[in-house]
Amino acid sequence: MTDTPKWVKITREFDAPIDVIWSMWTDPEMFKKWYGPMGMTVPVAEMDVVVGGTRKVSMQMTSPERTMTMWFTGVYKEINAPKRLVYTESMCDEEGTLISPQAMGMPEGYPDITEVIVDLSETGGRTTMTMVHVGVPEGSAGGGGWNQAFDKMVALLS
Amino acid sequence: MTDDNQLDAAFAALANPTRRAILARLAEGEATVNSLAAPFDMSLPAISKHIRVLVDAGLVTRGRDAQFRPCKLNGAPLAAVAHWTDQYRHIWGARFDAMDQIIADMKDTQK
Repeated sequence: MTDTPKWVKITREFDAPIDVIWSMWTDPEMFKKWYGPMGMTVPVAEMDVVVGGTRKVSMQMTSPERTMTMWFTGVYKEINAPKRLVYTESMCDEEGTLISPQAMGMPEGYPDITEVIVDLSETGGRTTMTMVHVGVPEGSAGGGGWNQAFDKMVALLS
Repeated sequence: MTDDNQLDAAFAALANPTRRAILARLAEGEATVNSLAAPFDMSLPAISKHIRVLVDAGLVTRGRDAQFRPCKLNGAPLAAVAHWTDQYRHIWGARFDAMDQIIADMKDTQK
């Protein structure tokens, strides 16, 4: 890949102890509750939270016209409960077989694998969380199914 | 509208294939509601409703021509949405807002 990888870094403070925030990321039932806003639900979240263990998550968007389901899989690379979690994320099909992003209509340069790094620390019952999402090169869109559509639109506009 | 609200509205407006198709058509030039509706197997009021969502999100403007009021694409909110770091920041931000809400609900239940 010749593009420079880019990243998003977000730091948030939550009014909850570190164990609660850890479970938000590692307990599938908790994860499902917050991971799918903006009209999307998370019907499936399977997590084998050990180093080298796999995860599989589906995201679903239902509109009057159709239901769109996307699948993501990945591997846990680092687990230091309840302080640090690192996992990869790739697009896949329902069986967990990797799909190249280009086959899904993503632009050239969209990486096959992105990485999510979560660092947590607790002070006085509050938890500071730093999340870094790495690996998506500049100029490409990613994440949602609509991206491919507005990539085309932006191309038309420019 | 604040930047964040505008981004919210733009994302919501884009989360629909009919509206994306309308925008793609408008990227080629302005068009009347009638000509926008033509490719769809959908009533004119239904299409008008989609257009209204796009107008409210600032993605489409309507002309002043009293009879036809042609629709025109406004690219500015789209440019903000299209930048991937903005997208990811927005997606994760919304997820973490949801996390905040769950924590608040948990506290309520404990009371």
